[in-house]
Amino acid sequence: MATDTQANGPNRIISMVLVAPSLLMIALLFLYPLGFSVVSAFAESGSWGLANFYKAYQFYSRDILFTIVIVLISTALVGLFAIAIGGYLTLGENPRAVAILRWLYRWPLFIPFIVSAQLMRTFLAKNGMMNNVLIELGLLDQLQSVSFLDWRGIVVTFVWKQTPFVALLVAGAMAALDRTTIEAARNLGASRLRILIEIIIPQIATTLMVGLILTYVVIMSVLSVPLMINAQSPTMLTVDMAFRINSYGDYGVANALGIISYLITGIVAWFYLRQGLDNGGSPK
Amino acid sequence: MKYLTIPLALAGAISLNVQVTAAETILNVASGGSENMVQYVTDYLGPMFEKQNPGVKVRVIGTGPGDAGTQKIIEKLEAQKNAGKETWDIDVAVGNQQKTAELVNMGLLKSYRAKISTGSLATRDTSKMALGVNVDGYVMPMFHSQTAIAYNSDLVATPPGSYDELRAWALKNPKAFGYNGIKNGMSGVSFVVGWMYAYAGDAAKLQNGPYDENTKGNWDGALSNLKAFNENITFTPGNAGTLDMLNRGEIAMGPVWVDMFYSWQADGRIPPNLKLKLISPGMPGQPYYYSIPAKAANSDLAMKFIELATSPKVQAEGIVNRFNWYPGIDAMHVEKSLDPMVWKKLFTDVTPDELAANGKPFPIAPYFSDIKEAYELKVSN
Amino acid sequence: MMTSRKNTFSLSLGISAIARVLILGLLAFVIFGPITNMLLWAVAEVWYYPHKLPLEWGFSFWERVFRPQGNAMESLITSVAIAVLTVIVSMAVAIPAGYALARGRLPWRNIILLLFLLPQAFPAVAVHMNIARIFYGLGLTGTVGGVVLVHALQGLVFAVWIATAAFSAVDPELESAARSVGASRVRAFFDITLPLALPGVLASAIFVFLISMDEFTGTYFVGAPDVVTVPMLLFTSSMEGNYQIASISSLILLVPSVLFMLVIEKFLKADVLAKVGT
Repeated sequence: MATDTQANGPNRIISMVLVAPSLLMIALLFLYPLGFSVVSAFAESGSWGLANFYKAYQFYSRDILFTIVIVLISTALVGLFAIAIGGYLTLGENPRAVAILRWLYRWPLFIPFIVSAQLMRTFLAKNGMMNNVLIELGLLDQLQSVSFLDWRGIVVTFVWKQTPFVALLVAGAMAALDRTTIEAARNLGASRLRILIEIIIPQIATTLMVGLILTYVVIMSVLSVPLMINAQSPTMLTVDMAFRINSYGDYGVANALGIISYLITGIVAWFYLRQGLDNGGSPK
Repeated sequence: MKYLTIPLALAGAISLNVQVTAAETILNVASGGSENMVQYVTDYLGPMFEKQNPGVKVRVIGTGPGDAGTQKIIEKLEAQKNAGKETWDIDVAVGNQQKTAELVNMGLLKSYRAKISTGSLATRDTSKMALGVNVDGYVMPMFHSQTAIAYNSDLVATPPGSYDELRAWALKNPKAFGYNGIKNGMSGVSFVVGWMYAYAGDAAKLQNGPYDENTKGNWDGALSNLKAFNENITFTPGNAGTLDMLNRGEIAMGPVWVDMFYSWQADGRIPPNLKLKLISPGMPGQPYYYSIPAKAANSDLAMKFIELATSPKVQAEGIVNRFNWYPGIDAMHVEKSLDPMVWKKLFTDVTPDELAANGKPFPIAPYFSDIKEAYELKVSN
Repeated sequence: MMTSRKNTFSLSLGISAIARVLILGLLAFVIFGPITNMLLWAVAEVWYYPHKLPLEWGFSFWERVFRPQGNAMESLITSVAIAVLTVIVSMAVAIPAGYALARGRLPWRNIILLLFLLPQAFPAVAVHMNIARIFYGLGLTGTVGGVVLVHALQGLVFAVWIATAAFSAVDPELESAARSVGASRVRAFFDITLPLALPGVLASAIFVFLISMDEFTGTYFVGAPDVVTVPMLLFTSSMEGNYQIASISSLILLVPSVLFMLVIEKFLKADVLAKVGT
């Protein structure tokens, strides 16, 4: 009874043993301390439940919406660019261009968020370096120059910093693909774009989705980028959480915002995981 | 097997690192202040103290600027208290007013001022009260800082002298004034607090109490005017962002911290044509405090350190001459040991009279929270 | 290796060559614009508007970072050592977990995967204090081990999710085939499945390394004051808009990170080649 379809996978007990160390780590180092936060919020205010959530909604409803929009736009752009880079690295016909691109695309990965945010603040400003260069090149008129230090700046910085992350994963997965189908399709005259969309992407979809979900989570959790770049008044939830704690010492509303932020992430991740389960028995 | 050698070698290398330093007594100073404050202890005060006390090493931990920086010190101390530790690993804390007051309220500090010889040299209100909280005995001011309006003197010949004039100027010069709201950095918060002092009625009550939770009901006029004012200005990304935009000529005027302004000028990040003006009826400033955690491992050494830090000589040479800050202890003790030229340099843009008239404290804690929440709800929302 | 290049009209070849140069040029500007900004700031002594380049150049800020009181080199060694240990710890727990999550029969598999997202998705600000408290209780504060654990926690989501994806991408038939010719389960894993999943797993190692190198908050709560890393030394300057110091610190961190990546890639290539041989 044991060895038919799932013969190659470890059984329940072994699986649980294998997952146990990492789960233990999460439980001890995160869930247990998190529990303290929740409990202390209970003990102090007496009404953890809705009061804090109501206040979070009352004060920050626009920021919640703003955060969702920023995260979705940024993640979508990251996905698009990562596929483009990975696709060119896999299908590009000019070896020199492929080599240049391979060398080029990874650098932002190594610049910490806090530094990226600082650099973008002086780069994207109205009289910042980007506009200066464009004006010097004659591509832009001094009077037309605008500042990007608003939602666009946040999106640009996130996309700049996170695209290499997803591209690295996606390019790795594409490189590991069996090339025979690709060559066959090409010999039949299929365009490279079509090969990318119809043959390659479906095969690396898992990796792509994982990369995008991780990007989504990172964007939800980074404080320095919205803090240092966005000057306008709807801002991202991380800024609000830090502000509640640092300015008011108010852990209750900060935790409520944290739960909202986790739900925004969790829903997307859950949707993806369910999807994976429905399409064929083995997950993903 | 060979894979194991790497981590073992690494662990060995680090423990060696730790052991070398463990031979001396280490005085841990946590600073929740600006970069120049961290640098001040690392480069000036620390080495001086080490020289006077052989076998002692001063280690500085910068926890970041603003409320967030001091909040991190609170959290670290609270964690040690909750864990039931007998000695704590921070010996001297440098924190801002609001958060040091919270530390006192939480019982995380030691009362030490009476025990040090320089304790009697600081007699301003700020060494006894912080935002309405009695901190007498628990703190010594390191220095006083002040917010003011910075302006580009090439573009603005006669800067506004009051909030009224500033409003008129901003109306005539749309988008030329800039500040950073209240969520990223205290210079914006100060501008808003100054606005409330000017337009929300009884400023003295906001500064000294007593607290009455109905007061905030009277602020609607001031807040809606501020909202209208905000339509015509530029928002900047943070304290540093305001200085940046002034630098690049994207705004001509904005609120900044005086000490940060001077250190940016010294580091060549803003041009010499930027000047300061402290407008009436006033903008807030605050001291940064030296305090000692209740269970500091080296509290005697910590007292000695603070004694040195608040001695007239160090306040004159370090705080005023090198770093251009307003002294923490009373001015008369400092002025004596200074070259008059240096003392004058401190007041190039903001005169002592202006400072006395227009340098205000922040509001008492409950009003301070009310102002910030009211701004979030009625101005920025 | 490549099949013969397709016949194309020379005109369209010319256009596509120009387009290629333009796109790569644009990409280079987008990627290196901000980085050039960083390099300029790292050697700028005086730079204010409207000057498009620094007015005075020099290394005085480098001297400030590397002055003896600053302990920059010592912290760099600590940072790198902690990052390497963090990678080892995360990989040690993430590889088995990823394998089980991809292949095993686990109850609540999705819930478990969501759990790993939690530390990233939930604001750490509210939790660090409690982590610190627990670590104080256990005597882990101020130790390298404690810091490594906190860093590994932050990197775990990347390690586990990416490892899971990498293992799911390996065709299960290959492992079955190995088993059917008599290889033990362990042998089949190490000889077949792990090498095939390795590119993904090692990519996640790079991210874990980078996360550890940049981490400040956890290090402060668990490591300070005894364990000092580069981000701890330079945090205040970087937060407050000292572009010179921020740029220099980022360059300091860049060197070990790039080296680490090169080492990993070298290792990776050798391994993939070895696999082709068998």
